Amino acid sequence: MIATVPSATVLGVQGLPVTIEVHVSNGLPGFQIVGQPDTACRESRDRVRAALLSSGLPWPVRRVTVNLAPSGTRKGGGGLDLPIALALLTADGFLEPAALEGIAAMGELGLDGSLRGVPGMLAMVDAVDAPTVVVPRPAAHEAALVGRHLVLAPANLAEAVAALKGDAPWPPMPPPTDPPPTPPPPDLADVRGQPLGRWALEVAAAGGHHLLMTGPPGAGKTMLARRLAGLLPPLTREQALETTRVQSAAGVPLPPGVLVTDPPLRAPHHGASRVALLGGGSEAMRPGEISLAHNGVLFLDELGEFPPGLLDALRTPLEEGVIRVSRARAMVTFPARCLLVGAMNPCPCGEGGPPGSCRCTDSARARYARRVSGPLLDRFDLRLHIAKPDVGELLEDTAGECSAVVAGRVAAARAMADDRGFATNARIPGSQLRHHVAPTPPARRVLEYRLRTGALTARGLHRVQRVARTIADLDGADRVDEAHVCGALELRLDATDLAVA
Amino acid sequence: MDVAVHAHGEPGYPSVLASDHEAPDVLFSTGDLAALDAPRVTIVGGRQCTHYGRDVSRRLGRDLAELGVCIVSGLALGIDGAAHEGATSVRGAPPVAVVGSGLDVPYPRRHARLWQEVAARGCILSEAPLGAPPAPWRFPLRNRILAALAQVLVVVESRVASGTQYTIDAAASRGIPVMAVPGPIHSQMSEGPNRLLREGCAPVLGVDDILDVLHLSHGTTAEARDRRAPPARCDERVLAAVDWTPTPVDSICRRTGQRPTEVAVALAHLEIDGWITGQGGWWTRLAPP
Repeated sequence: MIATVPSATVLGVQGLPVTIEVHVSNGLPGFQIVGQPDTACRESRDRVRAALLSSGLPWPVRRVTVNLAPSGTRKGGGGLDLPIALALLTADGFLEPAALEGIAAMGELGLDGSLRGVPGMLAMVDAVDAPTVVVPRPAAHEAALVGRHLVLAPANLAEAVAALKGDAPWPPMPPPTDPPPTPPPPDLADVRGQPLGRWALEVAAAGGHHLLMTGPPGAGKTMLARRLAGLLPPLTREQALETTRVQSAAGVPLPPGVLVTDPPLRAPHHGASRVALLGGGSEAMRPGEISLAHNGVLFLDELGEFPPGLLDALRTPLEEGVIRVSRARAMVTFPARCLLVGAMNPCPCGEGGPPGSCRCTDSARARYARRVSGPLLDRFDLRLHIAKPDVGELLEDTAGECSAVVAGRVAAARAMADDRGFATNARIPGSQLRHHVAPTPPARRVLEYRLRTGALTARGLHRVQRVARTIADLDGADRVDEAHVCGALELRLDATDLAVA
Repeated sequence: MDVAVHAHGEPGYPSVLASDHEAPDVLFSTGDLAALDAPRVTIVGGRQCTHYGRDVSRRLGRDLAELGVCIVSGLALGIDGAAHEGATSVRGAPPVAVVGSGLDVPYPRRHARLWQEVAARGCILSEAPLGAPPAPWRFPLRNRILAALAQVLVVVESRVASGTQYTIDAAASRGIPVMAVPGPIHSQMSEGPNRLLREGCAPVLGVDDILDVLHLSHGTTAEARDRRAPPARCDERVLAAVDWTPTPVDSICRRTGQRPTEVAVALAHLEIDGWITGQGGWWTRLAPP
């Protein structure tokens, strides 16, 4: 007899619908899975057998063939255990075929018959068309985020089979778990002094401008960067779903409320491999850090220590907001719209303070600065030097502005950009800058001076104009005035100046 | 590029060097050797320098050249290059450079344009044959020629143990007066000249000090004619908060109590009017208010 159950696996961050076909016939007892299963999937046989037996269900001593259709693509993970078990019971005659009508299933089985969630549940549920999905109880709320299906969430295989046979009702959805008390995110109020650094964070958050900080160790670059995510507005539902889908597919633990509503902050170490940063992998195409930071902040500390080729690979995704990873077996597109924050020392010795104070040779400094290529450097609209804070300010009791106040101004500025029809000012195309950024005559004078002295290039001018627009938005100003242009120039050091020490 | 070769003792060999006890046996030159006929001041210093050092070097180069003094230097990064930048920025006495590589191997490459400029206006000398790479051992030897050509040696900024020391020793052994530009006592780059001053060197407080040693009369330089617009009232507070040594914007914000945008406007005004200069987020005062 034949039975089929719709299910899905995940490729990248997209669900891939899979139909489980089970054929049970007379012949030598055996169990075979065909249709390009990977190792975890092939081992399904042993888990399903143990789960059936320990749940008091029959294991057919007949010839069993399981096909994962479409057979042309490779399937991975343990998420197909439950549909295989259900299809097997149906094909064996234990369940009525009618009971499984319109029901899709996914989930991994424990040897005791318990059901476990798998990474990417959100994408998998989204991929199935059946009106009802059976998912493991721990993944119930994640599956419900899709909103198109009736979600049934049994705790183990026995519960699912009992409900399908009509012996017992489906267990109700688990109540939403109360979020355990989480430590509050780092607040800007903890930062002492650093007026320029704080302001740069505010501008970066308001305009979506990538930010590069240089400065000696201990100046507070990392401390500042870790507070940027807290200044961004909470994600819209659409953004939250995108980000949750990526995090779920990568197997990152989801927050207690399941939906990721706060912009994520990812801070990979500079030892991260190419695949870890950009996404990919030979078995499952896994999203990389740049995608995990989608709609949030990607913080690369010690930027100069990352392999230069790897950094240059970030350029295209930063521009396009997506990264296409191509492998022999699959081509996957991951979302990758994030705010990039880099931090680096000014020179190898790291002690570069005012010009002339460090002991590195000129060529050593030039070599260090070259590790970050010009085109990548160009992506950073905001580039500034973070000097060591004043000793007096470190010991002061008065706290700085807290994140909530700054976030309020950021939200207001973003609303102005939104009125113009752009999500952020950083995305205003060059052709429309003239229309949206008309500088006042004094502002023109400053720009002219910088252009004439060669301190600003034509390409840099566009970037300065966008940042000036953001600073004007933060001021609530319609026109871009002198102060806004000067501010933008102050926050944009020359590429050569970054290596100054 | 025309290169001339001069052997020691033959006509055409620069007479200033001919009498020197360490005169090079063979000297290559490009440009006009007549540049050496003017009064000559050698300006030397470190490759790494602060903005103060670069500025002083450039001004001395410019003002001395304008008053008819030939600037001799090594075309290195930092102080050397700045002196020649100053000297080539005005119509004045032709400059002279002594380099450590072959005359067809511009080094450092960042100064390739300055190299051509100096060769076009004055001349470049080298002991190294054409095509010789800038090997490290050639530079101390080059420095003795820099010293031998000087009537006055001016040290702008240097660390204590540095190549500049060779030039100073070479000048002292020839009895050539050495002068030093004082600098802040906590700046490592001013340690060299400040020590020279402690040992009794004459300080350079302006072009006139050098002219006195050369027995030349004082003249009016661009510096004296250059009147900048007085700073606006609102910018004065920011100007007062900018030190003569590099000052970070954070400190300026703290001292004035103003927001970064306000400070940025004032800094831009002051920079355009020539009161301050900025480099990598550090601002330095150029002139007293």
